[in-house]
Amino acid sequence: MADADRDLHLLVQSVVDYSIFMLDPDGYIVSWNEGAQRINGYTAKEIIGSHFSVFFPPEDVASGKPEWELMTATSEGRVEDEGWRVRKDGTRFWANVIITPLFGETGELRGFGKVTRDRTQHRMAEHALRESEERFRLLVQSVVDYAIFMLDTEGHIVSWNAGAQRIKGYRADEIVGSHFSVFYPPEDVASGKPDRELEIAVVEGRLEDEGWRVRKDGTRFWANVIITALFDETGRLRGFGKVTRDLTERRMAERTLDERGRLLAHLVQAQEMERRRIAWDVHDDTIQSMVAVGMRLQLLASRLPPEHAATVERLDEAVSSAVQRLRGLTFRLRPPGLDGDGLAQAVDGYLAQAISGTGLTYTFTHDLLREPPPESAITIFRILQEALTNVRKHAMATSVSVSMNAVDHGVLVRVVDDGVGLAQPVERLAGRDHFGLLEMRERAETAGGWWSVSGRQGEGTTVMFWVPALMYGESGVS
Amino acid sequence: MTRLTVLIGDDEPMIREALSEVLAAEPDLDVVAIACDAEESIALAVRHEPAVAILDMRMPGGGAHAAREIRNRSPRTRIMAFSAYGDARSVEEMGRAGVTEYVLKGVPNRDIVAAVRRVAAGAA
Repeated sequence: MADADRDLHLLVQSVVDYSIFMLDPDGYIVSWNEGAQRINGYTAKEIIGSHFSVFFPPEDVASGKPEWELMTATSEGRVEDEGWRVRKDGTRFWANVIITPLFGETGELRGFGKVTRDRTQHRMAEHALRESEERFRLLVQSVVDYAIFMLDTEGHIVSWNAGAQRIKGYRADEIVGSHFSVFYPPEDVASGKPDRELEIAVVEGRLEDEGWRVRKDGTRFWANVIITALFDETGRLRGFGKVTRDLTERRMAERTLDERGRLLAHLVQAQEMERRRIAWDVHDDTIQSMVAVGMRLQLLASRLPPEHAATVERLDEAVSSAVQRLRGLTFRLRPPGLDGDGLAQAVDGYLAQAISGTGLTYTFTHDLLREPPPESAITIFRILQEALTNVRKHAMATSVSVSMNAVDHGVLVRVVDDGVGLAQPVERLAGRDHFGLLEMRERAETAGGWWSVSGRQGEGTTVMFWVPALMYGESGVS
Repeated sequence: MTRLTVLIGDDEPMIREALSEVLAAEPDLDVVAIACDAEESIALAVRHEPAVAILDMRMPGGGAHAAREIRNRSPRTRIMAFSAYGDARSVEEMGRAGVTEYVLKGVPNRDIVAAVRRVAAGAA
């Protein structure tokens, strides 16, 4: 034997991580090495001369697998297999097996070389990893308290879970592929907030934010959002993980307890009392005096010669139309009904009086089972009043529908008309003529709620707002 | 021609006086009593038994209360509300007190006068 052959023989003999041995053409073992002894448990003396099928579990032997492997190796030039094999002590290990046929110079089959590795540990680790990944995936999928989903590097949604569906209202097939800016209020989109949040997440690694987000149905919830940038081993940005919680109720509960909530309730009521006082003054003093003046002017006109009477009559007309305008003012300042009958009835009464004679038809529905606290009722009424004024003045609508629903421990109000819609986004409309839009939003936000307007040109306008309606000190968590 | 006797009940002096002058200018109307609250209106109505009592809705003591009492104690007197409030609730309240003619302050004098005659005619 040449030196090189001897060295190679030594190497094969002493390798312990691989079982390397030879079979004769019929599958009987003719050589053995250290690795084979370690992995299979037999010494060379014990095993040489045995058929290699002793390494197979009985079911494989019964199905003729050992013979099949030799046949395949002969015809294909090689066979690789992974499966259970049996040690001397009867225990099993997960083996990776490669069988290579060995041909003589004249092409006759001399036998087989067999290399076996014990992959039991590897298989268990892989299995455990797969299981843990699967469990983790299931966990993420089924979590309902958190919206957990992934964005690609551009911000498009690529995965979705049960919590995301519950909190945001979209099913996976409706939302995957959309850009995540659909969750932001229009004013945030206009200011570029979604992209800014991704940029910060890339730079800082993560970003946390609290604010209003929009559900599928257009309503909003107070969200805690964490965006995490996901980088691969090479440092390349792969996308973003986004975890969102709905904190609407907690935020409300906190607000009803904190000083700010209490001050706000006072402020709203104080403002309302001031309005009422002004309304009473105008009504009981100014209007009555002007009515009396008008009556006297009419008397005077009837006693004057015609050429003077006409002048006095015009004076009376001026007084009379001023009285009409003042009546309108007091009605807006203090609509009857808000004092005692409750919000729904006040709205009903207001619609009857404010919409009648405008050529508009209206519907009003509500499902409020209990009266909101006074400051909430006032806020809701005032925003609604402004929204209806806009419908009358700007919408050129033929009908308007108003609904009030108890939602998230607050009142959700929708005012939907069939008029001309919005010529441009609300951010650009908020000029002199549309001062009321700003005022509505401010009122809602000051009360801890939100306000939105939507409606493309020619498609009518929808004003939607939500105002919390918890008594001071009451807990929002049911 | 029989003259119609009229009582005015209103807490606002300028309105009382102007209304009184408007009615006095009509040949067929005679203002026989002027009161400034509900109790005085009731007392004067009982004493004078006017054909028509013109009552302010919101005078002290309440126009509706005065209307009910006068209908009880001076059954021949017909009642007309004269009010600065035209809302449904106020009209309803007076309606429950048996008042059918409801005139809003600020309407032309001739409408006031016509309403007084109409109420009185309803009594006949």
